[in-house]
Amino acid sequence: MKMIRAIVRPEKENDVVLALEAKGFPAMTKMNVFGRGKQKGITVGPIHYDELPKVMLMIVVEDNESPAVIDVIRQSAYVGYEGDGKVFVSPVTESYTIRTGTRSE
Amino acid sequence: MLVEITAVIRRDKVAPTMRALDNLGLGSMTIATVSGRGRQGGNIMTDIDREVPAEYESVSKITKHLTPASFALSHSLTRPVFWVPKRMLTIVVPSPMKDDVVDLIVSTNQTGWMGDGKIFVSPIEESLRIRTGERGTSSI
Repeated sequence: MKMIRAIVRPEKENDVVLALEAKGFPAMTKMNVFGRGKQKGITVGPIHYDELPKVMLMIVVEDNESPAVIDVIRQSAYVGYEGDGKVFVSPVTESYTIRTGTRSE
Repeated sequence: MLVEITAVIRRDKVAPTMRALDNLGLGSMTIATVSGRGRQGGNIMTDIDREVPAEYESVSKITKHLTPASFALSHSLTRPVFWVPKRMLTIVVPSPMKDDVVDLIVSTNQTGWMGDGKIFVSPIEESLRIRTGERGTSSI
């Protein structure tokens, strides 16, 4: 399994979630995070912002599903400007459903 | 070898889980406030908001729809809950202890109802205690 962590614009969160849901990936965890990228934040007039609010979506899927999920996120979170966010993929060796205690690899 | 155990659990189960882990000798963890949704894609608020009665006949049709929450919204059933408030515990343990910790989390958090949560186990390549610079198993 793969854990996909996508850091997206808060205003794009709903689009991403609905797009994933439509493709059959309704299960995910989201959290509000702050981040900055390669540009070290943004400067608007005299003020420099280096803690930009973002939403992190965490989705765990089977290995063969991860390219599809990444595609969906790329299309739905895309604006075309700096700050669109990042997607990170990491391995998950096993997962458990607490309600039933079943294990899956 | 270290593994990271990420558990997304009910909010009211954090304290029992911490107590149970303390008994196992594992006190250290990171707790984050997150929102989650499972395979059902959210839920319908019936227990929380009793003033808005749910139409159970319509609720039974929900499985035919995308998610319970989107169905509830389109049919103005009752208040849809797209995101359920959850707590995420991140615990890094030596890999031999993994099964004990997972069993413990499962047994303390199991209620048998949807929304009990998930546990994910993933490998940790490197770990470092910032204060002393210790690495590996001795750093946790």
